[in-house]
Amino acid sequence: MRGEPKTMIAVENVHFTYNGREVLKGVSTTLENEIVALVGPNGSGKTTLAKHLNGLLKPNRGRVLVDGMDTREHTVAELSRKVGYVFQNPEKMFFEETVFREVAFGPRNLGLSDDEVEDRVRWALKAVGLEGFEGRTPYSLSGGEKQRLAIACVLAMKPKYMILDEPTTGLDGRAERMVIETIVSLREMGHGVLLITHDMNLVLELADRVVLLFRGKKVFDGKVDDFFKLQLRRYGLEKPELLRLSEKLGVGFIRKPEELVKALEGWG
Amino acid sequence: MIHTFYRDSESFLHSLDPRTKIVGFTITVIVILLFNDPFVTALLFTLMLATGKVLGQIGIREQLKLLKPLIPLVIFTILLWPVIYKPRSMGLLFGVSFALRLLELGLVTFILLMTTRQREIIQGFVKLGLPYELGLTVSIGLRYIPTLYMLTREIMDAQKSRGWEMEKGNVIVRIRKMSAVMIPLLVASLKTAHELSIALESRAFGAGKKRTFLNDIEMKKRDYFTLLGFILMLGTALYIRYFLGVGHIRIYG
Repeated sequence: MRGEPKTMIAVENVHFTYNGREVLKGVSTTLENEIVALVGPNGSGKTTLAKHLNGLLKPNRGRVLVDGMDTREHTVAELSRKVGYVFQNPEKMFFEETVFREVAFGPRNLGLSDDEVEDRVRWALKAVGLEGFEGRTPYSLSGGEKQRLAIACVLAMKPKYMILDEPTTGLDGRAERMVIETIVSLREMGHGVLLITHDMNLVLELADRVVLLFRGKKVFDGKVDDFFKLQLRRYGLEKPELLRLSEKLGVGFIRKPEELVKALEGWG
Repeated sequence: MIHTFYRDSESFLHSLDPRTKIVGFTITVIVILLFNDPFVTALLFTLMLATGKVLGQIGIREQLKLLKPLIPLVIFTILLWPVIYKPRSMGLLFGVSFALRLLELGLVTFILLMTTRQREIIQGFVKLGLPYELGLTVSIGLRYIPTLYMLTREIMDAQKSRGWEMEKGNVIVRIRKMSAVMIPLLVASLKTAHELSIALESRAFGAGKKRTFLNDIEMKKRDYFTLLGFILMLGTALYIRYFLGVGHIRIYG
């Protein structure tokens, strides 16, 4: 397929040094239409790598190609049409008086017509389950609603790829479920999702592929079931209880509690 | 990058009591402002660099590097004086002299900040009679500058990811665009301030009438000698300026 612009994000041997410390030491990976979990202990370079994907950071060495576009030759605003980035703390982006205007900010920056902007806002709010919130003030929403609003703000720009930085941290169970459903629907709509998280249960349930960073290097990149065969403790991570239970019971690779229940029902 | 200026060292200036240094700083500023003869200001500037080097163990190059941000102001001063003052050669000399004074004021500030920890300066001011609450406010304010800087950058990153471009548009458009950064920054700052006040009160801030310090400061012999030295310096400077009439040139009339 040489010479043809590939429809994916390609990270090629990226090195990045910050304040004299080499944070990324030659990382290569890809993101296509899939959910990729980016995991690793604190300070392993997860957020630094993610910020390379939409051009917020440019590699010192190596390159990042977004559908063939080199991030060093394009501004973040240009790349925002392709790659959406939802930051960890959603409050850091809210500044409008109403939810509607907040979501409209991104599409307006793309220079779309008023009708198109309105369509996209309604669509994005529906996609995250926030219909009817248009007139509310962003800061008056609950934690989970804020997180979903942040996703809607980026989703309304219809980027092909979405980066979600710790989208479920600090949320209660119900709010977390809503965010998970939103992420699943993103994949169904054909988005590539990069999910930065410490929550191994989330990785188990959602990820198609896992990229594990450790001290600025990629130490694993592969399917989620292979990932959980690793000695995760070595990287400061814990294997989910659910998986340990299902292994002891000998029912194979289980991703959700419901699947375990189903498998056990079969025992009669 | 924003960082504190303090350089850890065991020089003479480092070992002085912060009160001594605050008084010395004030006297030095007065002395700087007494003279406007370019030859005297040049001499003072050299003396100050030497003091920083010998008594503060700060390299000459490092001292000059800190003054770099003042360069645009210095150039402006030197160029402006000959324009507004006649004869022009005299104006140029005044320009140089005032630029040097500017650099001296910068230098004395940097020497103070490089040889004294932030909390020592605050403690010094409090011991000199400043209310503790005010001292704490100043030190918290200084402490949060780097934090706010990081926060601003992060907010800008978040908004850039939503297609926000600071660089586009005329001045009015740009100012309006800044609201996308200023509002989240304001909200985050207010929240932090609120949380900080809760944290302070939960640690019984203001419960005792008279404050004691964990690391108390004490005036030693060298402090009194240094103070004496500063007072002598002030006296000499006043004598030279008003009795001998040297070092000051009347600019107007």
